[in-house]
Amino acid sequence: MCDQTFLVNVFGSCDKCFKQRALRPVFKKSQQLNYCSICAEIMATDGLHENETLASLKSEAESLKGKLEEERAKLHDVELHQVAERVEALGQFVMKTRRTLKGHGNKVLCMDWCKDKRRIVSSSQDGKVIVWDSFTTNKEHAVTMPCTWVMACAYAPSGCAIACGGLDNKCSVYPLTFDKNENMAAKKKSVAMHTNYLSACSFTNSDMQILTASGDGTCALWDVESGQLLQSFHGHGADVLCLDLAPSETGNTFVSGGCDKKAMVWDMRSGQCVQAFETHESDINSVRYYPSGDAFASGSDDATCRLYDLRADREVAIYSKESIIFGASSVDFSLSGRLLFAGYNDYTINVWDVLKGSRVSILFGHENRVSTLRVSPDGTAFCSGSWDHTLRVRKTSFHFAV
Amino acid sequence: MEEWDVPQMKKEVESLKYQLAFKREMSSKTIPELLKWIEDGIPKDPFLNPDLMKNNPWVEKAKCSIL
Repeated sequence: MCDQTFLVNVFGSCDKCFKQRALRPVFKKSQQLNYCSICAEIMATDGLHENETLASLKSEAESLKGKLEEERAKLHDVELHQVAERVEALGQFVMKTRRTLKGHGNKVLCMDWCKDKRRIVSSSQDGKVIVWDSFTTNKEHAVTMPCTWVMACAYAPSGCAIACGGLDNKCSVYPLTFDKNENMAAKKKSVAMHTNYLSACSFTNSDMQILTASGDGTCALWDVESGQLLQSFHGHGADVLCLDLAPSETGNTFVSGGCDKKAMVWDMRSGQCVQAFETHESDINSVRYYPSGDAFASGSDDATCRLYDLRADREVAIYSKESIIFGASSVDFSLSGRLLFAGYNDYTINVWDVLKGSRVSILFGHENRVSTLRVSPDGTAFCSGSWDHTLRVRKTSFHFAV
Repeated sequence: MEEWDVPQMKKEVESLKYQLAFKREMSSKTIPELLKWIEDGIPKDPFLNPDLMKNNPWVEKAKCSIL
């Protein structure tokens, strides 16, 4: 004879059906209720129904994913490197640092070029956002944000304003003024509000709308003037870390990458996810559209960069080497799309031949992680920002054939 | 995604159905076109063309001159 559990019979009014019956304690969301045995049984099967629905939805999702893989495999009749065999290999590159921008007091987290191909905006962990003239290395404007870790910054297409944000969960727009008497911070306009940190922002084709990505797992489109939310994009299962808008000719889509290892392509008008790719093995830190708009590249903590063909809806290339074990933080294409520049957490920048899949150059110089990298609008140079507090602008010195 | 509840899961299923409906094209068509796009752009790519570097604003034009 061992322990026996005794059921104490309490009689009273059932909390559900209110009939006078023998009651049993029942816990719903950690609150104790007293149900009669009939209602207790019904509740037990209710729970079962909800679990069944969730389980059946999950298995439906899995089978849909399986179908997607099948559809994609049907189109996989040719490999990029096969078609690229006939293309001449690139030689070796020598890229020199032409300008070093010093002035940030802490890690540089983000940068963007102005359309005039010479101004650069950069943001840092020290809370400062600086606008530089990269030809002269002069600082033209500086703003101190109310928060540290300004993780995102962007230049407006007109060149007349910048947007930035980070741990303040907001994206704010600052008009740029050359009037010495005007305080830039006074003209600040708060546009976007998220429930977690701002990881990326970008103006659309005009100064009027901003697209944001956040640690709260969503992206959003905002009207700058009114601060109104125009469209929100839900679907990532974790923090969204990066976004890039499609080149204007190809239409209203953008791509985002997140900690859920997914890269998702969205329709800006409907808010729907049009395509999703889940081939990376870790967080996707950077996504960049290919100049024609038909493909995009991604850089991830799994130490690889990948190219995705949007028309065939599949991954077509992986840029990796056994010797590269640190995450890629930032990627961008050269003007023709033949070169892919990628900044890594091992302080280097690798330059990849997009077609052949081989590395054509490895660039040193930064003394800490490369956190951000952008090619200038006219393709003559690229700028990298690093945790070593500096930004470096580089161009090719010469390119000699193999 | 494990912590998602029924409404979120429903949205995910809907989104997947939408994605399945996407009009995909064959790689034998898209990849050669991607290649052609790159090849057309190479002559204008400053990183791949030493000639274009002559007009490069980043390069110091001439040696210093004594005034």
